[in-house]
Amino acid sequence: MAPPQPGRTRTAPPEIPGSWWSAPRIRNYLLFDATGVIYFLVAFVAMRIIWALGSGPEHWDKAMEDLSNPFYLVFHAVALASVIFVAIRLFNLFPKAQPRDTGLPMPPNPVIKALLYVTWLVVTVAFATVLSGGIF
Amino acid sequence: MKAFLLRIEPVIWLLFGQGILLGTILLTGWILVVGLLMPLGIVPAEALRYERAQPLAANIVGRIVLAAMMALPLWKGAHHLRSLAVDFGGAERDARVGATLYLIASIGTAWAILAVARL
Repeated sequence: MAPPQPGRTRTAPPEIPGSWWSAPRIRNYLLFDATGVIYFLVAFVAMRIIWALGSGPEHWDKAMEDLSNPFYLVFHAVALASVIFVAIRLFNLFPKAQPRDTGLPMPPNPVIKALLYVTWLVVTVAFATVLSGGIF
Repeated sequence: MKAFLLRIEPVIWLLFGQGILLGTILLTGWILVVGLLMPLGIVPAEALRYERAQPLAANIVGRIVLAAMMALPLWKGAHHLRSLAVDFGGAERDARVGATLYLIASIGTAWAILAVARL
């Protein structure tokens, strides 16, 4: 249906409602975005550790020792909760976010979701096993 | 700046998409073992003694996995924090905030590549 007069599509300026904290959907959406802080920090902590690995055994041992500090332990507990939250929300949203009518055969949504969860689980178990000395 | 950000948006979205998907998948095992189980003594520290950790990380697969695990989450972080800044602070400062966050992510990416290159 054509508009009565041609012109730019009007859009409302983005504005967060004042009641965002009591609205679960908005709160979860904002929390999902706020995990960006954790991802930033986790990446920089990992860089510090890998940098120490490249600097020699003394630096590496010191970096490993530092991770036992309660501050780091609490931070990594929050970080683990964040990645699990992001994974669950992302995998549940993923099938809905795929482009439609591409002409390509697409598996049903539950299959896409199951593949994501299985990949996450397999990679996590494999990576954790390697890091723990289970293999290699 | 806004025009530049719009021009590079496909690259930003690619890095953001990989950051949220691959970053999340890779970080879970890393945080679990290196951040929690090892410091708590549940996994013995011997598993990541220098003599084992160095060659493990320095082979080509180790370098790629570690570089991806360090660099990609920065783009998820940058893009989501930009979105959060728009939600709370409005769109007026978006170009400046976006440019600053992507600059931090770029510097971090370079640092991550350098960190694995010197292993």
